[in-house]
Amino acid sequence: MAPYASYVIAGYLITAATLGGYTLGLFARARAARRRAEAIAQRRHAR
Amino acid sequence: MAATAERALGKATSRNGERILGVLAAVALGGSLVLSLVVAPPDAVQGEVQRLMYIHVPAAWLAYLSFAVVFVGSIGYLRTRKTRWDRIAGASAEIGVMFTALAIALGALWGKPVWGTWWTWDPRLTTTAVLLLIYIGYLSIRRISDNPSRTARWCAVVGIVGFVDVPIVHLSVVWWRSLHQGPTVLRLGGPEIEGTMLLALLVGVAAFTLVYAYLMTLRLRVGRLEERAAREALSPVVEPPVEAGV
Repeated sequence: MAPYASYVIAGYLITAATLGGYTLGLFARARAARRRAEAIAQRRHAR
Repeated sequence: MAATAERALGKATSRNGERILGVLAAVALGGSLVLSLVVAPPDAVQGEVQRLMYIHVPAAWLAYLSFAVVFVGSIGYLRTRKTRWDRIAGASAEIGVMFTALAIALGALWGKPVWGTWWTWDPRLTTTAVLLLIYIGYLSIRRISDNPSRTARWCAVVGIVGFVDVPIVHLSVVWWRSLHQGPTVLRLGGPEIEGTMLLALLVGVAAFTLVYAYLMTLRLRVGRLEERAAREALSPVVEPPVEAGV
């Protein structure tokens, strides 16, 4: 293994985790906001 | 001009536009990975560890771009008072903070084997840390939401004043004696970098730019959905009319 290859691997893994994690986080936030809006609207209609 | 830009933004932020941008960003990231890890030769002095530059430099440049969009969005908000500009500035600041933190982390990983330290109070590193703190502060202000228009106004001011640090970060290696290397691409006299390495770097920048565009469309959709949820929660309940005799 080339010297310092572990630093390069760590760098690319950190980048993948950051970009992937942020993207998944945005999907989760979008889903949660949609559910919250729908739940509030549904409760209103139920009254 | 503004109408054309608005139409283009509308197309990009549609669900179809979002999906197309996502696919393009993934393909570009794949191409960048192959170029930077397989095609580009190792550096004559630094060896393999120099490959970190193909992600460190694009992350730093995209941080600059993100904060430039915050700057433009902030001016747009102060001039027009349209919440759309504030939403764009807020979304871009969040993504910019992520890219700045990533650039600092990757720089530390590169610094340990090359400089012998993870961190040093070098002008470039210090001004970048200040940049990160400015925009973390900006995002903190956005959470003070007792009065949305006042929050947007404060954020616009911070978004404009905070951008002053971007050219300072970029020129810090020219203005002060720095451990960090000087500009190798954006310099007078042209880039001083080998052809394949330059190609890998430019493809990396293009890929990160597509990632930024994709994240912006996604983050703007999240913003719209969160605002809708807040509107639903705050809108007055319409009581059914009371029937006579009840």
